[in-house]
Amino acid sequence: FQTPNSKLWPHFMKCHQFSDILHEGMSGQPSSKRLKVEPEKKKDKRQKVDEDEIQKMQVLVSSFSEEQLNRYEMYRRSAFPKAAIKRLIQSITGSSVSQNVVIAMSGIAKVFAGEIVEEALDVCEKWGDTPPLQPKHMREAVRRLKSRDQIPNSKYKQILFH
Amino acid sequence: MADEEDETGFDEEVDDGSSGVDVGHGKRKRLFSKELRCMMYGFGDDQNPYTESVDILEDLVIEFITEMTHKAMAIGRQGRVQVEDIVFLIRKDPRKFARVKDLLTMNEELKRARKAFDEANYGS
Repeated sequence: FQTPNSKLWPHFMKCHQFSDILHEGMSGQPSSKRLKVEPEKKKDKRQKVDEDEIQKMQVLVSSFSEEQLNRYEMYRRSAFPKAAIKRLIQSITGSSVSQNVVIAMSGIAKVFAGEIVEEALDVCEKWGDTPPLQPKHMREAVRRLKSRDQIPNSKYKQILFH
Repeated sequence: MADEEDETGFDEEVDDGSSGVDVGHGKRKRLFSKELRCMMYGFGDDQNPYTESVDILEDLVIEFITEMTHKAMAIGRQGRVQVEDIVFLIRKDPRKFARVKDLLTMNEELKRARKAFDEANYGS
């Protein structure tokens, strides 16, 4: 199978945010989109930005090859099984958790997985390798994300005062 | 966690793609193999990702969820995990924050739509 243009992937991640962000401009978009305008104008502007993004997405998706469509479908549809996530969280807390907690945790876990795979793909490309991703790519991706504080690690207790 | 993945762990691993016990790391049964494979393909990997890479990612995801759960238990209402805690923890990460906000909003809309639909049917 043909590897799709890797330049599309940052676009996919951004598109993930675009379809998600209905209200806040919290996606890390250029600050030109977060203008200080009066509340009503801001709402109109926000809606126009949404419509623009939706239209852009439609144009993009309509130009996909079959392989790209397959991949995009997997990108949108893949999800962690809610039951397993719920079991995992509850085994740690010892008490039950609400459905919203499971929804939230599944969602951010998927974003987390995406960040690692994206980074690993960058590493893979940089090292002149090709997919499938190998453990060494994954490990290097983790190392890089850790240095950017994108991977939580509270294993070592900070000694604040002594 | 990835730093603890040493070479011997991979040599011992069952290499036939089965979702059996992973000898290399904690003897935990694989929880998300199928879903993670689809996810990795969706994010840009090959249509058939290497099992070892899928396993590494699963361990990372489980560690991430574990860390988040522990942190959430420590704040807000202690010993419990609530949505507000998760949102607070993720506030500085724009992608995850936006994603959570949107998922919860969509869920509310779906619930409202379902409720309206049920009430409409109940009348007839």
